[in-house]
Amino acid sequence: MGTEAAAMAKEAENANEIIHYFAQEWAPGVVIHMQTMYMTWITMAIVFLLFFIASRNPKLVPSGLQNGMEFFIDFLNGLMEETLGMKGRKYMAPFMITLFMFIFIGNELGMLPQIGVHWTSPTNDINTVFALSLMVAFGGYAVGVHQQGIGHFKHFISPKPGFLPIHLLDAITKPLTMALRLFGNILAGEILLIVLYQLTPWVIPELWVMFSLFIGFLQAFIFTMLALSSFAIAFHDEH
Amino acid sequence: MVNFNATLIAQVLNFLILVFILAKFAYKPLMKIMDDRKNKIAGDLAAAETAKTDAESIKAEYAAKLAAARQEAQAIIDNARKTAQTAHDKILADTKAEQDQIVKTAKEAIALEKKQALSEIRAHVINLSLVAASKIVEQKLGSEEDKKLAGDIVDAVLKQ
Repeated sequence: MGTEAAAMAKEAENANEIIHYFAQEWAPGVVIHMQTMYMTWITMAIVFLLFFIASRNPKLVPSGLQNGMEFFIDFLNGLMEETLGMKGRKYMAPFMITLFMFIFIGNELGMLPQIGVHWTSPTNDINTVFALSLMVAFGGYAVGVHQQGIGHFKHFISPKPGFLPIHLLDAITKPLTMALRLFGNILAGEILLIVLYQLTPWVIPELWVMFSLFIGFLQAFIFTMLALSSFAIAFHDEH
Repeated sequence: MVNFNATLIAQVLNFLILVFILAKFAYKPLMKIMDDRKNKIAGDLAAAETAKTDAESIKAEYAAKLAAARQEAQAIIDNARKTAQTAHDKILADTKAEQDQIVKTAKEAIALEKKQALSEIRAHVINLSLVAASKIVEQKLGSEEDKKLAGDIVDAVLKQ
Protein backbone atom coordinates (compact mmCIF):
# COMPACT_ATOMS: atom_id res chain seq x y z
CA MET A 1 0.00 0.00 0.00
CA GLY A 2 2.77 2.35 1.01
CA THR A 3 4.91 1.68 -2.00
CA GLU A 4 1.82 1.92 -4.08
CA ALA A 5 1.12 5.43 -2.79
CA ALA A 6 4.70 6.46 -3.44
CA ALA A 7 4.51 5.07 -6.90
CA MET A 8 1.31 6.98 -7.51
CA ALA A 9 2.93 10.17 -6.31
CA LYS A 10 5.94 9.55 -8.51
CA GLU A 11 3.66 8.86 -11.42
CA ALA A 12 1.81 12.11 -10.86
CA GLU A 13 5.08 14.02 -10.71
CA ASN A 14 6.15 12.60 -13.97
CA ALA A 15 2.84 13.32 -15.65
CA ASN A 16 4.01 16.75 -16.81
CA GLU A 17 2.60 18.51 -13.83
CA ILE A 18 3.59 22.13 -13.37
CA ILE A 19 3.85 22.04 -9.60
CA HIS A 20 6.25 19.53 -8.06
CA TYR A 21 5.97 18.46 -4.44
CA PHE A 22 8.99 16.08 -4.47
CA ALA A 23 7.19 13.29 -2.63
CA GLN A 24 9.46 11.03 -0.67
CA GLU A 25 8.59 7.82 1.13
CA TRP A 26 10.29 7.79 4.52
CA ALA A 27 8.73 4.59 5.74
CA PRO A 28 6.24 2.20 4.22
CA GLY A 29 3.11 4.29 3.65
CA VAL A 30 4.66 7.47 5.07
CA VAL A 31 4.97 9.78 2.08
CA ILE A 32 5.99 13.34 2.70
CA HIS A 33 6.10 16.20 0.21
CA MET A 34 9.58 17.54 0.78
CA GLN A 35 9.09 20.74 -1.18
CA THR A 36 6.14 21.60 1.07
CA MET A 37 8.21 20.73 4.11
CA TYR A 38 11.10 22.96 3.15
CA MET A 39 8.83 25.88 2.33
CA THR A 40 6.92 25.36 5.56
CA TRP A 41 10.13 25.49 7.55
CA ILE A 42 11.23 28.62 5.74
CA THR A 43 7.85 30.19 6.44
CA MET A 44 8.10 29.17 10.08
CA ALA A 45 11.60 30.62 10.28
CA ILE A 46 10.51 33.91 8.75
CA VAL A 47 7.46 34.24 11.00
CA PHE A 48 9.51 33.29 14.02
CA LEU A 49 12.32 35.71 13.20
CA LEU A 50 9.93 38.57 12.53
CA PHE A 51 8.27 38.15 15.89
CA PHE A 52 11.40 37.18 17.74
CA ILE A 53 13.42 40.20 16.59
CA ALA A 54 10.45 42.49 17.13
CA SER A 55 9.94 41.21 20.66
CA ARG A 56 13.58 41.56 21.75
CA ASN A 57 13.87 44.58 23.99
CA PRO A 58 10.39 45.90 23.13
CA LYS A 59 9.96 49.66 23.54
CA LEU A 60 7.02 51.57 24.92
CA VAL A 61 7.35 53.84 21.92
CA PRO A 62 7.64 51.30 19.10
CA SER A 63 9.61 51.75 15.93
CA GLY A 64 10.71 49.71 12.95
CA LEU A 65 9.92 46.02 13.04
CA GLN A 66 8.25 46.19 16.43
CA ASN A 67 5.85 48.74 15.00
CA GLY A 68 5.12 46.53 12.01
CA MET A 69 4.47 43.39 14.02
CA GLU A 70 2.37 45.31 16.50
CA PHE A 71 0.27 46.46 13.58
CA PHE A 72 -0.59 42.84 12.76
CA ILE A 73 -1.17 41.92 16.38
CA ASP A 74 -3.35 44.96 16.91
CA PHE A 75 -5.30 44.24 13.74
CA LEU A 76 -5.92 40.62 14.77
CA ASN A 77 -6.62 41.56 18.37
CA GLY A 78 -9.34 43.88 17.14
CA LEU A 79 -10.93 41.09 15.10
CA MET A 80 -10.66 38.66 18.00
CA GLU A 81 -12.21 41.05 20.48
CA GLU A 82 -15.14 41.54 18.15
CA THR A 83 -15.80 37.85 17.59
CA LEU A 84 -14.44 36.10 20.68
CA GLY A 85 -14.66 38.77 23.36
CA MET A 86 -11.94 39.78 25.79
CA LYS A 87 -11.62 36.34 27.36
CA GLY A 88 -11.58 34.61 24.01
CA ARG A 89 -8.92 36.96 22.73
CA LYS A 90 -6.57 36.18 25.61
CA TYR A 91 -7.16 32.48 25.08
CA MET A 92 -6.87 32.34 21.31
CA ALA A 93 -4.39 35.13 20.50
CA PRO A 94 -1.25 32.97 20.02
CA PHE A 95 -3.06 30.51 17.78
CA MET A 96 -4.87 33.09 15.67
CA ILE A 97 -1.87 35.40 15.20
CA THR A 98 0.31 32.48 14.21
CA LEU A 99 -2.38 31.18 11.87
CA PHE A 100 -2.69 34.49 10.08
CA MET A 101 1.03 35.15 9.85
CA PHE A 102 1.82 31.60 8.73
CA ILE A 103 -0.72 31.69 5.91
CA PHE A 104 0.17 35.26 4.97
CA ILE A 105 3.93 34.68 4.78
CA GLY A 106 3.38 31.24 3.23
CA ASN A 107 1.18 32.69 0.50
CA GLU A 108 3.73 35.35 -0.39
CA LEU A 109 6.61 32.87 -0.45
CA GLY A 110 5.48 31.36 -3.75
CA MET A 111 5.58 34.79 -5.36
CA LEU A 112 9.29 35.28 -4.77
CA PRO A 113 11.48 35.34 -7.87
CA GLN A 114 12.69 31.86 -8.75
CA ILE A 115 16.37 32.60 -8.32
CA GLY A 116 18.53 29.89 -6.79
CA VAL A 117 15.64 28.45 -4.80
CA HIS A 118 12.48 26.98 -6.18
CA TRP A 119 10.02 29.04 -4.17
CA THR A 120 6.52 27.72 -3.67
CA SER A 121 3.87 28.42 -1.11
CA PRO A 122 3.41 25.75 1.54
CA THR A 123 -0.29 26.54 1.16
CA ASN A 124 -0.30 25.23 -2.41
CA ASP A 125 -0.33 21.73 -0.92
CA ILE A 126 -3.71 20.23 -0.12
CA ASN A 127 -2.16 18.60 2.96
CA THR A 128 -1.17 21.95 4.45
CA VAL A 129 -4.52 23.62 3.96
CA PHE A 130 -6.41 20.61 5.34
CA ALA A 131 -4.01 20.41 8.25
CA LEU A 132 -4.90 24.01 9.07
CA SER A 133 -8.63 23.79 8.49
CA LEU A 134 -8.98 20.51 10.41
CA MET A 135 -6.95 21.99 13.25
CA VAL A 136 -9.33 24.92 13.32
CA ALA A 137 -12.40 22.67 13.19
CA PHE A 138 -11.30 20.24 15.88
CA GLY A 139 -9.63 23.00 17.81
CA GLY A 140 -13.01 24.72 17.91
CA TYR A 141 -14.59 21.64 19.50
CA ALA A 142 -11.70 21.20 21.90
CA VAL A 143 -11.79 24.80 23.04
CA GLY A 144 -15.60 24.67 23.25
CA VAL A 145 -15.51 21.62 25.51
CA HIS A 146 -12.73 23.19 27.55
CA GLN A 147 -14.72 26.39 27.99
CA GLN A 148 -18.29 25.12 28.30
CA GLY A 149 -18.00 21.41 29.03
CA ILE A 150 -19.78 18.80 26.99
CA GLY A 151 -22.75 21.16 26.77
CA HIS A 152 -20.82 22.89 24.04
CA PHE A 153 -22.26 20.43 21.54
CA LYS A 154 -25.74 21.63 22.36
CA HIS A 155 -25.30 24.25 19.70
CA PHE A 156 -25.78 21.44 17.17
CA ILE A 157 -29.44 21.23 18.15
CA SER A 158 -30.15 24.91 18.58
CA PRO A 159 -32.59 26.45 18.24
CA LYS A 160 -34.46 23.15 17.62
CA PRO A 161 -33.29 19.50 17.35
CA GLY A 162 -34.53 19.57 13.78
CA PHE A 163 -31.59 21.77 12.86
CA LEU A 164 -29.10 18.97 13.57
CA PRO A 165 -28.63 17.95 9.91
CA ILE A 166 -27.94 21.53 8.91
CA HIS A 167 -25.42 21.95 11.70
CA LEU A 168 -23.73 18.68 10.75
CA LEU A 169 -23.55 19.73 7.14
CA ASP A 170 -22.08 23.04 8.23
CA ALA A 171 -19.51 21.32 10.44
CA ILE A 172 -18.32 19.25 7.49
CA THR A 173 -18.46 21.84 4.73
CA LYS A 174 -16.82 24.62 6.71
CA PRO A 175 -13.33 23.07 7.00
CA LEU A 176 -13.73 21.70 3.49
CA THR A 177 -14.48 25.07 1.92
CA MET A 178 -11.88 26.89 4.02
CA ALA A 179 -9.17 24.49 2.91
CA LEU A 180 -10.20 24.36 -0.73
CA ARG A 181 -10.59 28.12 -1.06
CA LEU A 182 -7.08 28.75 0.19
CA PHE A 183 -5.60 25.82 -1.73
CA GLY A 184 -7.32 26.79 -4.97
CA ASN A 185 -6.39 30.44 -4.82
CA ILE A 186 -2.74 29.87 -4.08
CA LEU A 187 -2.17 26.93 -6.36
CA ALA A 188 -3.99 28.62 -9.23
CA GLY A 189 -1.97 31.76 -8.64
CA GLU A 190 1.32 29.87 -8.92
CA ILE A 191 0.26 27.87 -11.95
CA LEU A 192 -0.98 30.99 -13.70
CA LEU A 193 2.29 32.76 -12.93
CA ILE A 194 4.29 29.95 -14.53
CA VAL A 195 1.98 29.95 -17.54
CA LEU A 196 2.22 33.72 -17.88
CA TYR A 197 6.02 33.56 -17.79
CA GLN A 198 5.89 31.14 -20.68
CA LEU A 199 3.48 33.32 -22.63
CA THR A 200 4.93 36.80 -22.00
CA PRO A 201 8.19 37.04 -20.09
CA TRP A 202 7.75 40.73 -19.28
CA VAL A 203 5.34 43.01 -17.46
CA ILE A 204 2.27 40.76 -17.36
CA PRO A 205 3.72 38.23 -14.88
CA GLU A 206 4.90 41.10 -12.66
CA LEU A 207 1.42 42.55 -12.61
CA TRP A 208 0.08 39.15 -11.67
CA VAL A 209 2.69 38.87 -8.90
CA MET A 210 1.50 42.18 -7.49
CA PHE A 211 -2.08 41.02 -7.58
CA SER A 212 -1.12 37.66 -6.10
CA LEU A 213 0.66 39.33 -3.21
CA PHE A 214 -2.61 41.08 -2.47
CA ILE A 215 -4.52 37.81 -2.85
CA GLY A 216 -2.06 36.22 -0.43
CA PHE A 217 -3.00 38.75 2.21
CA LEU A 218 -6.69 38.53 1.38
CA GLN A 219 -6.79 34.72 1.61
CA ALA A 220 -4.92 34.77 4.91
CA PHE A 221 -7.45 37.29 6.19
CA ILE A 222 -10.43 35.26 4.94
CA PHE A 223 -9.09 32.05 6.42
CA THR A 224 -8.48 33.80 9.75
CA MET A 225 -11.95 35.35 9.79
CA LEU A 226 -13.58 31.96 9.11
CA ALA A 227 -11.42 30.36 11.77
CA LEU A 228 -12.55 33.06 14.18
CA SER A 229 -16.18 32.30 13.41
CA SER A 230 -15.47 28.65 14.18
CA PHE A 231 -14.05 29.58 17.56
CA ALA A 232 -16.63 32.23 18.30
CA ILE A 233 -19.26 29.70 19.35
CA ALA A 234 -16.86 28.27 21.96
CA PHE A 235 -16.80 31.64 23.71
CA HIS A 236 -20.44 32.37 23.17
CA ASP A 237 -21.90 32.44 26.66
CA GLU A 238 -25.29 30.78 26.83
CA HIS A 239 -27.22 31.58 29.97
CA MET B 1 -1.71 17.17 -7.44
CA VAL B 2 -4.20 16.23 -4.75
CA ASN B 3 -2.51 13.52 -2.71
CA PHE B 4 -3.39 13.18 0.91
CA ASN B 5 -0.51 11.69 2.81
CA ALA B 6 1.64 12.04 5.90
CA THR B 7 2.44 15.61 4.94
CA LEU B 8 -0.85 16.57 6.56
CA ILE B 9 0.23 15.27 9.94
CA ALA B 10 3.67 16.80 9.55
CA GLN B 11 2.04 20.16 8.82
CA VAL B 12 -0.14 19.93 11.93
CA LEU B 13 2.98 19.30 13.98
CA ASN B 14 4.89 22.09 12.26
CA PHE B 15 2.15 24.56 12.91
CA LEU B 16 1.68 23.59 16.54
CA ILE B 17 5.44 23.85 17.09
CA LEU B 18 5.39 27.35 15.60
CA VAL B 19 2.44 28.37 17.80
CA PHE B 20 4.21 27.01 20.87
CA ILE B 21 7.53 28.70 20.14
CA LEU B 22 5.98 32.05 19.29
CA ALA B 23 3.66 31.99 22.30
CA LYS B 24 6.63 31.27 24.53
CA PHE B 25 9.21 33.66 23.12
CA ALA B 26 7.57 36.36 21.07
CA TYR B 27 3.96 37.11 21.88
CA LYS B 28 4.30 37.56 25.62
CA PRO B 29 6.76 40.47 25.57
CA LEU B 30 4.98 42.11 22.66
CA MET B 31 1.53 41.76 24.21
CA LYS B 32 2.89 42.97 27.51
CA ILE B 33 4.42 46.09 26.02
CA MET B 34 1.21 46.77 24.12
CA ASP B 35 -0.84 46.43 27.29
CA ASP B 36 1.66 48.59 29.16
CA ARG B 37 1.39 51.25 26.50
CA LYS B 38 -2.40 51.11 26.61
CA ASN B 39 -2.36 51.48 30.39
CA LYS B 40 0.23 54.24 30.25
CA ILE B 41 -1.77 56.23 27.73
CA ALA B 42 -4.95 55.77 29.74
CA GLY B 43 -3.09 56.75 32.90
CA ASP B 44 -1.51 59.78 31.26
CA LEU B 45 -4.84 60.92 29.92
CA ALA B 46 -6.40 60.58 33.35
CA ALA B 47 -3.46 62.45 34.91
CA ALA B 48 -3.78 65.20 32.32
CA GLU B 49 -7.48 65.47 33.10
CA THR B 50 -6.73 65.73 36.82
CA ALA B 51 -4.01 68.30 36.20
CA LYS B 52 -6.42 70.33 34.10
CA THR B 53 -9.06 70.25 36.81
CA ASP B 54 -6.45 71.21 39.41
CA ALA B 55 -5.20 74.07 37.29
CA GLU B 56 -8.72 75.32 36.83
CA SER B 57 -9.46 75.24 40.54
CA ILE B 58 -6.15 76.97 41.29
CA LYS B 59 -6.95 79.59 38.69
CA ALA B 60 -10.35 80.22 40.25
CA GLU B 61 -8.74 80.40 43.67
CA TYR B 62 -6.18 82.93 42.46
CA ALA B 63 -8.84 85.01 40.83
CA ALA B 64 -10.79 85.08 44.09
CA LYS B 65 -7.65 85.96 46.02
CA LEU B 66 -6.82 88.71 43.57
CA ALA B 67 -10.29 90.18 43.90
CA ALA B 68 -10.04 90.04 47.69
CA ALA B 69 -6.61 91.70 47.62
CA ARG B 70 -7.92 94.43 45.35
CA GLN B 71 -10.83 95.02 47.68
CA GLU B 72 -8.52 95.15 50.66
CA ALA B 73 -6.21 97.60 48.92
CA GLN B 74 -9.17 99.79 48.08
CA ALA B 75 -10.28 99.69 51.71
CA ILE B 76 -6.79 100.64 52.87
CA ILE B 77 -6.68 103.55 50.44
CA ASP B 78 -10.12 104.73 51.49
CA ASN B 79 -9.14 104.50 55.12
CA ALA B 80 -5.93 106.45 54.55
CA ARG B 81 -7.83 109.10 52.67
CA LYS B 82 -10.31 109.41 55.51
CA THR B 83 -7.55 109.64 58.11
CA ALA B 84 -5.74 112.23 56.08
CA GLN B 85 -8.91 114.27 55.71
CA THR B 86 -9.55 114.11 59.46
CA ALA B 87 -5.97 115.17 60.22
CA HIS B 88 -6.22 117.93 57.70
CA ASP B 89 -9.45 119.25 59.25
CA LYS B 90 -8.08 119.03 62.76
CA ILE B 91 -4.89 120.89 61.88
CA LEU B 92 -6.89 123.56 60.21
CA ALA B 93 -9.18 123.95 63.22
CA ASP B 94 -6.25 123.98 65.66
CA THR B 95 -4.41 126.55 63.65
CA LYS B 96 -7.48 128.72 63.50
CA ALA B 97 -8.00 128.52 67.25
CA GLU B 98 -4.36 129.29 67.93
CA GLN B 99 -4.46 132.17 65.56
CA ASP B 100 -7.55 133.55 67.24
CA GLN B 101 -5.92 133.17 70.62
CA ILE B 102 -2.78 135.05 69.46
CA VAL B 103 -4.86 137.84 67.97
CA LYS B 104 -6.92 138.08 71.12
CA THR B 105 -3.82 138.22 73.38
CA ALA B 106 -2.25 140.81 71.15
CA LYS B 107 -5.38 142.93 71.23
CA GLU B 108 -5.50 142.72 75.02
CA ALA B 109 -1.84 143.66 75.29
CA ILE B 110 -2.38 146.58 72.94
CA ALA B 111 -5.40 147.73 74.97
CA LEU B 112 -3.43 147.49 78.20
CA GLU B 113 -0.51 149.39 76.73
CA LYS B 114 -2.87 152.02 75.42
CA LYS B 115 -4.49 152.37 78.81
CA GLN B 116 -1.12 152.68 80.54
CA ALA B 117 0.07 155.19 78.01
CA LEU B 118 -3.08 157.19 78.43
CA SER B 119 -2.81 157.27 82.21
CA GLU B 120 0.84 158.34 81.97
CA ILE B 121 -0.01 161.01 79.47
CA ARG B 122 -2.81 162.18 81.78
CA ALA B 123 -0.46 162.59 84.75
CA HIS B 124 2.04 164.54 82.63
CA VAL B 125 -0.67 166.70 81.11
CA ILE B 126 -2.07 167.48 84.64
CA ASN B 127 1.33 168.61 85.86
CA LEU B 128 2.03 170.47 82.66
CA SER B 129 -1.30 172.26 82.70
CA LEU B 130 -0.90 173.18 86.34
CA VAL B 131 2.54 174.60 85.66
CA ALA B 132 1.16 176.49 82.74
CA ALA B 133 -1.86 177.76 84.65
CA SER B 134 0.25 178.94 87.64
CA LYS B 135 2.48 180.79 85.29
CA ILE B 136 -0.55 182.44 83.79
CA VAL B 137 -2.11 183.46 87.16
CA GLU B 138 1.23 184.13 88.74
CA GLN B 139 0.49 182.05 91.64
CA LYS B 140 1.27 178.67 92.70
CA LEU B 141 -1.40 176.22 92.07
CA GLY B 142 -0.67 173.01 93.87
CA SER B 143 -3.49 172.24 96.13
CA GLU B 144 -5.58 169.10 95.82
CA GLU B 145 -8.45 171.07 94.52
CA ASP B 146 -6.40 172.53 91.74
CA LYS B 147 -5.16 169.14 90.70
CA LYS B 148 -8.71 167.81 90.67
CA LEU B 149 -9.89 170.67 88.58
CA ALA B 150 -7.04 170.24 86.11
CA GLY B 151 -7.72 166.51 86.00
CA ASP B 152 -11.34 167.13 85.12
CA ILE B 153 -10.37 169.47 82.32
CA VAL B 154 -7.79 167.00 80.97
CA ASP B 155 -10.26 164.15 81.10
CA ALA B 156 -12.82 166.19 79.25
CA VAL B 157 -10.23 167.05 76.56
CA LEU B 158 -8.91 163.51 76.27
CA LYS B 159 -12.41 162.23 75.89
CA GLN B 160 -12.97 164.36 72.84
